[in-house]
Amino acid sequence: MSVSLAATPELALALFDLPFRDGYVRSIILVSLYVSVTAVALSTLVSLPVAVVIGFADFPGKGFVKSVVNTGMGFPSVVVGLVVLFAVSNQGPLGSLELIFTREAMIMSQFVLATPPITAISLAAVDGVDDGVRDAARALGGTRLDAALVVVKEARYGIATAVLAGFGRAISEVGSVLIVGGNITSADGISKTRTLTTAIQLEARQGQYETALVLGAVLVALVLAVNAVVVRFGDRGAQG
Amino acid sequence: MLRTTDASVSYGDGAVFRDLSIEVGTGEVLAVIGPSGVGKTTLLRLLAVSLEPDDGTVALDGTDAWTVDATERLALRRRVGLVFQEANLFDASVARNVEYGLRVRRSWGDRIGSLLGRGVPDAVDEALDVVGLADETRRHADSLSGGEAQRVSFARALAYEPDALLLDEPTSDLDPRNTAVIEEAIGEARDRGIGVAVATHDMHQAERVADRVAVLLDDGITEIGPTADIFEDPTDERTRKFISGELVY
Repeated sequence: MSVSLAATPELALALFDLPFRDGYVRSIILVSLYVSVTAVALSTLVSLPVAVVIGFADFPGKGFVKSVVNTGMGFPSVVVGLVVLFAVSNQGPLGSLELIFTREAMIMSQFVLATPPITAISLAAVDGVDDGVRDAARALGGTRLDAALVVVKEARYGIATAVLAGFGRAISEVGSVLIVGGNITSADGISKTRTLTTAIQLEARQGQYETALVLGAVLVALVLAVNAVVVRFGDRGAQG
Repeated sequence: MLRTTDASVSYGDGAVFRDLSIEVGTGEVLAVIGPSGVGKTTLLRLLAVSLEPDDGTVALDGTDAWTVDATERLALRRRVGLVFQEANLFDASVARNVEYGLRVRRSWGDRIGSLLGRGVPDAVDEALDVVGLADETRRHADSLSGGEAQRVSFARALAYEPDALLLDEPTSDLDPRNTAVIEEAIGEARDRGIGVAVATHDMHQAERVADRVAVLLDDGITEIGPTADIFEDPTDERTRKFISGELVY
């Protein structure tokens, strides 16, 4: 007996009696990944230069700046969500952009949440590079930029860990994306601003425990995959 | 010719040395001997244009490195190689380490272009050949022994053919075999017309490799001259005591 590949999803639904509509979970996963990956990419573009500059520069109050960055790792996500909601609301400074209850607003809130851990962990990685490496780069004729690039390369495993830790925080986040995204689906049930975390929260509240469990399993699988990548990077870093 | 004239350097309130003058000529090996903590490393950093003196000048072929603009100073700095006591290799292959000095001298376009499909430049092979590691280009820096790492560090500075090469205790942690390789490489650099300055507290090594010796003690250079004169007939009493081991720090 042959089974058409095109019929596989329908077959799976029939065989396992999955408790949700076709395309629902896929759309939630895609929204989650789109929002988190975009936010983390933007955070990395900001965090990495900031970490390198703080790591390289010697200025009064450097310890205080590091403390502020580290404190940022503990920002309550609902407070971040509230601030972003005020910013994008009609009366807020970004009200004219009409971002309220959009994926872009969710990206903004996740950007705010992911930036401190990426910056702090990257800064620790940059600080951990032996000064001798930087001295060698300069002694061999490198400019300050050349030396900075060498340090970033030496710290690459720590920086990769920072990025993946930021992703872990973003993909697992529920409070702020619920506030600024609104947990919305379209009329056909396809996610607009519903993420895995907000969907789990909603399904559990409605008593749809099977759906919530499946979504939870998907989220855990994603986080485990990210952690596996972190561990792999860490192992490679330890091995040199 | 690399020369510092009447240079003074201090860290905080403490002067490392005052009014120090020394030169490294083309194709000669100058050993700077003295006890630990007397300022040998500071002197090499000064000569390498890595450290600005409080007073005095550092000049390469007559151009004062600290009166020219930053671009010209970088160009001068790139004519001098500095090898540290620790190898300080990058987390990369031997070839990538040795190529670094060549790479930073290229334009950004050439650097990006060279990332795609390139081999090891001849200068890298030649520099590694001088330190006996020509067959190790693909090895990762972490897999090298301490002696091999220091030899790579030497090759890394030699690869871009500097006019002057400054070595800070290059063999202090090495076994006799690796020490011999480094000392042979110093001779090779001299034969290529490179002016070499070696800071060392190993007087036997100074006697083996140097054409001239400068004795750096607490208050500056007490004596400088041909190696044989310094070791066999020093004119300064403190130099004599230091070389004979009577002056203990």
